[in-house]
Amino acid sequence: MTLAFIDAEKHKNDALVFPAFNLSLIAGEVLAIYSNVNIRSQLMELLLGKSSLSQGEIQLAGQALAQKSVKMGFLFLNDGVYKRLTVLEALRFYKNLHNSPDKVDDIIRKVQLELKKNTKLEKLTPSEKRRIQLAALYIQNPDVWVMEEPDQNLDMESKRIFLSLLTELRTAGKTVFILSGNLENAVIAADRVYRLDENGLYQIQTLEEEPEVEEKVEESAAAESIQPIRFEKIPTKVNEKIVLFDPPEIDYIESSEGQSFLYIKGEAFPSYFTLSELEQRLLPYGFFRCHRSYIVNLQKVREVITWTRNSYSLVLEDAKKSSIPLSKSKMAELKGILGMK
Amino acid sequence: MNESIKRVNAIFQKDFKDFSRNIAVSVVLFMPLFVAALYGRMGVDTLDAHYMIINLTFAMVATFVQCCLIAEEKEQNTLRGLMLSPASTFEILSGKSLLTFVLTILVIVAGALLSEYQPANLLIVSLAIVLSSFFYIALGTLLGLWAKSVMEASVIILPVLGIFSFGSFLLPLAEKYPVLKVVEYLPSVQLIEIASKVENGAGFSETAMQFGIIFIWTAAAGALTAIIYKKRMMD
Repeated sequence: MTLAFIDAEKHKNDALVFPAFNLSLIAGEVLAIYSNVNIRSQLMELLLGKSSLSQGEIQLAGQALAQKSVKMGFLFLNDGVYKRLTVLEALRFYKNLHNSPDKVDDIIRKVQLELKKNTKLEKLTPSEKRRIQLAALYIQNPDVWVMEEPDQNLDMESKRIFLSLLTELRTAGKTVFILSGNLENAVIAADRVYRLDENGLYQIQTLEEEPEVEEKVEESAAAESIQPIRFEKIPTKVNEKIVLFDPPEIDYIESSEGQSFLYIKGEAFPSYFTLSELEQRLLPYGFFRCHRSYIVNLQKVREVITWTRNSYSLVLEDAKKSSIPLSKSKMAELKGILGMK
Repeated sequence: MNESIKRVNAIFQKDFKDFSRNIAVSVVLFMPLFVAALYGRMGVDTLDAHYMIINLTFAMVATFVQCCLIAEEKEQNTLRGLMLSPASTFEILSGKSLLTFVLTILVIVAGALLSEYQPANLLIVSLAIVLSSFFYIALGTLLGLWAKSVMEASVIILPVLGIFSFGSFLLPLAEKYPVLKVVEYLPSVQLIEIASKVENGAGFSETAMQFGIIFIWTAAAGALTAIIYKKRMMD
């Protein structure tokens, strides 16, 4: 089932929340919108039918969105659970409520709570409670899944369960719409990622099938420029000042909307260079282009996590344990660098 | 229809399990029973005493328990999930009210046995009690939608307890202060009226007026609840 935003525009209290944009989601895809909290909550309210667009329309399966549609299921950031029920009782309740043909045991296995089957929900960890919510939504079995910050504060196991659930939903032809304020998480989970802000909607490049030829050219160019080390510090803009950083200090570099940001000890510094320029300069220092929009300092990588067969991420050893997406095509390259062909 | 009953049943069962483990709320069931047992042993056998217990049950069980059930769903953010499920407003509210209704009737019957109350016409009295319990449950739902937490629910129940359970105590003062004549129209007072008429051998036709007044209270509370619920759905 498709979900479409047509010339959707929203003003609130005379201020523009987001300008008109067009976006349509098709069955079997996971799409994420990366935005700030304001826009995220506005979008949720619009989809819930609690507020209406200033202009344009939201369509569900080609029809204007009705106020309550069981075709659409929501995962809220601050959803609650029935804390005095056990896992089994709660899921049985959702099954009866939605009159679902699914077997409760299968679902418990899917969210991997078999060992906690008879544990009361209030005794579960926040990540496990989130899995209960995912299970409830799975039982509801909507065609369009709207998820608000689905992987915020999730532990590793829950994240893995979440991502494999997404794979299952893709094959089942469901439409998944993720609203997130975390770009890394959005990129790992979704097929298409957009940034929505007061300037409009932009696609964030995540495509894996980028022209390989171009990259090869870049690489050879990089190889040539290795010999004379022009200067080893990377300049960044901080207000009106230019701050120079040693390459080993940099944790990773992220690019968004054509601007690249250096991340050093959890802080972002805008850089003067594009990602490809930085890639060339930093290659000799053990940096690696792990994704269309990311360069990582391999010295800082602690773990490589395989979520599903084709989604990976790198966990750094900085204080925040930042995780950075690693694209499928780059995985092989990385293995080569690590000498594990 | 069949699916609708299934959903109501699902909500009922969920609430039953949840309620039986929520000692802070379920303990109120024993309060009217305790008073009833005390009266029974003391040999108090006036109609007013029996109806004090029944009206106390209405406030403590029907209104308070219902209020807590709804307020807790709101506090835990689970009511929104129910509202977004295929269950309709009517199904959700009747599922939640069913448990309170069953509990209320059980406590009233047990209380009447303990205080040894035997009405002259069981049919009329039970009809009146069932109709009244609808009113108190609707009132509980209303307050539950109003209250933001279980804590708040247990505070706003106090005026209800005062007005509806002990309102009849004000009756003797009504001659002195004509304003208090309003008290006569309270559903609790009307219920006592029905009961005393029944003891004098009255039938349906003589008590129709009282039934009418209780019905108006019930209908008004029900309508108000539906409106507030629709409003709450929007936020």
